[in-house]
Amino acid sequence: MIQILIRYSTLLFLTLLVLAFMSFSLAYLFPGDPLENLTGLVPQNEMQREALTRQFKLDGPYLIQFFHYVENMLAGNWGYSFTSGLPLREEVGIALPATIELATYAMLMALFIGIPLGYYAGMRCYSTSDHVINSTSITTYSFPVFWFALLLILIFSLQLDSAPLSGRISLLYDIEPITGFIIVDILLSELANKPLALKDAFSHLALPTLAIGAITTASMIRITRRSVIDVKHRPYIAAAVSRGLSSWQIFFRHILRNALLPILPLMAIQITTLITNAMIVETLFSWPGIGNWLIQAIYQRDYPALRVGMMAVSTVVITLTILVDLFNRLIDPSREKYERATV
Amino acid sequence: MPMLDIKNLTLEMESGDASIKALDKVNLSVSSGEIRALVGESGSGKSLIVSAICGALPSQWNLTADRMSWNGENLLSMSVQQRREVMRREIAVVFQNPQSSLDPSATLGEQLEESIPDEFVEGSWFWQRAQHRKKIAISTVHKVGIKYHKHYLSAYPHQIPADIGQKFMIAMALVSQPKLLIADDPTRGMEPTTKTQILKLFTRLNQTRSLSILFVSHDLLAIASMAHSMTVLYAGQTVEAGKMKHIKKRPLHPYTKALLDSAPSFRKDLPPKSHLPTLGGSIPTLQHLPIGCRLGPRCPRAQRACVQTPAMRKIHDHSYSCHYPLHMEKP
Repeated sequence: MIQILIRYSTLLFLTLLVLAFMSFSLAYLFPGDPLENLTGLVPQNEMQREALTRQFKLDGPYLIQFFHYVENMLAGNWGYSFTSGLPLREEVGIALPATIELATYAMLMALFIGIPLGYYAGMRCYSTSDHVINSTSITTYSFPVFWFALLLILIFSLQLDSAPLSGRISLLYDIEPITGFIIVDILLSELANKPLALKDAFSHLALPTLAIGAITTASMIRITRRSVIDVKHRPYIAAAVSRGLSSWQIFFRHILRNALLPILPLMAIQITTLITNAMIVETLFSWPGIGNWLIQAIYQRDYPALRVGMMAVSTVVITLTILVDLFNRLIDPSREKYERATV
Repeated sequence: MPMLDIKNLTLEMESGDASIKALDKVNLSVSSGEIRALVGESGSGKSLIVSAICGALPSQWNLTADRMSWNGENLLSMSVQQRREVMRREIAVVFQNPQSSLDPSATLGEQLEESIPDEFVEGSWFWQRAQHRKKIAISTVHKVGIKYHKHYLSAYPHQIPADIGQKFMIAMALVSQPKLLIADDPTRGMEPTTKTQILKLFTRLNQTRSLSILFVSHDLLAIASMAHSMTVLYAGQTVEAGKMKHIKKRPLHPYTKALLDSAPSFRKDLPPKSHLPTLGGSIPTLQHLPIGCRLGPRCPRAQRACVQTPAMRKIHDHSYSCHYPLHMEKP
């Protein structure tokens, strides 16, 4: 157990170190002055430049520079944005939770709709209801996410006028960001008309969540269905049938858990797709998340922001992936044999 | 009257546009208190028959039979509920491959305890019942010759050696006190000592509890020592069936003779370092089954009539299906 934890933390640490190195090298790879790319500060004269160079140890060898860079990152000193001039840590601190919030709701939608539907389709495999569920999920899965989101905007926002077009919450409500999750923040806030604010936040959330969630749900249905069908044809299910167990007993005691085990690592792979989709959809819905923020940074050639944004997003993805895999590892008894942590 | 009576069991599989008869008019019966051996090469359909009896065949395969009855009740036409009840209490199966027939994500103890029928468990509160279940599980495990129940009941299937797995399968089959035990190659991969133990256990259960056993195997030595009667299967057809001692002494079908000859323990006259007599060729694949008698191409006595499937003929309770049986030449 402790050995497993140590292995996974080593894996996480090393991966993050490699990521930090890549983000550091971006300062040199981007066009322009590495000093400016790294700090986001534009020195006004030579004296200031020398002072900054000394402060960030850019006069030393690359290794020293890199260690200093990691030190700065850990201390929360991430540099400043070219465009806004604000500390990047604050900007990411507001944008990243918004994306995570969106992705979380989409993931919850996938879990609570996708997995039960997948189980249902798998248990009734090759029946009409299975074919309906399966073909719907394949169709949904094949939608490009930006097109699907545009379609939702077209139908629900423009034609039916039942959902707001963009943003996170109406400007009427002033929500203090505490956790960065809008729903939690509203609940924590001292607002007079919380129910109204909640309703408004939900109507803003509905379309982007649906756009991202539909595709994740579709892939979840397909993964679950396949896994259930695989498990159903294993000899131990036939053995359980021959022992005269009822179909409920067989489902709950033997199929449920065994089908869930291969789903979890595939879910970890889905996280990457989910975050990418979230970033695309954010741009369409002007959701103030990290994707939207990064796209703006690209337009503005805000190199420090790109460097930090890449680091932040990949850290989230890697950490989640490793955590899911660790969890899977801990609950699966038959994986004791594999000593090394893998993702 | 036999307990399990199967007549003309045919299993058809659709493969592309052709349908393959994996089992072709198989006859099999097990009487009460009898040990019946089902013998045949690998791929002759022994395990398919076992799956057909316990209803674990995929539904896209077409199973038909003139008669397939359990104590006079038709197994094919009874409701799912009834069928499950029969499987739960009266017929128990030990499958061929213990490692894959055990749920990898549950401990052996859990799996054994769930096979105990509720009627056997005493106590009115759930903790009493759980305790009693555990007690039954431990005593059953001891009965099949597993000593360290503490270690093995909490182990997962991948942590145990194959012979313990096989013994667990037997324990799971016996815990419901069935009337018929179907053992699909139960001693495969076991050491000779454990094998003897298991065979002795079967014989003892047969004698003391009058448990009928359908013993599926190709271990002729084990079969000859314990079985009362035998059914020989070749490529999905029954070739010969009858009392063990009759078949051993005077096999009528050329295949049975070849099978018996290939076991050195039955040949006292075999000189040292001589070749074991075998039939040329190997068992045909399901896609390329010969017409008529499926032994045809390999049979030393085959003649023109063998392209017609021979009908089952019967002398007393010794039945065979061959146009040119041994020991029956007309003078």
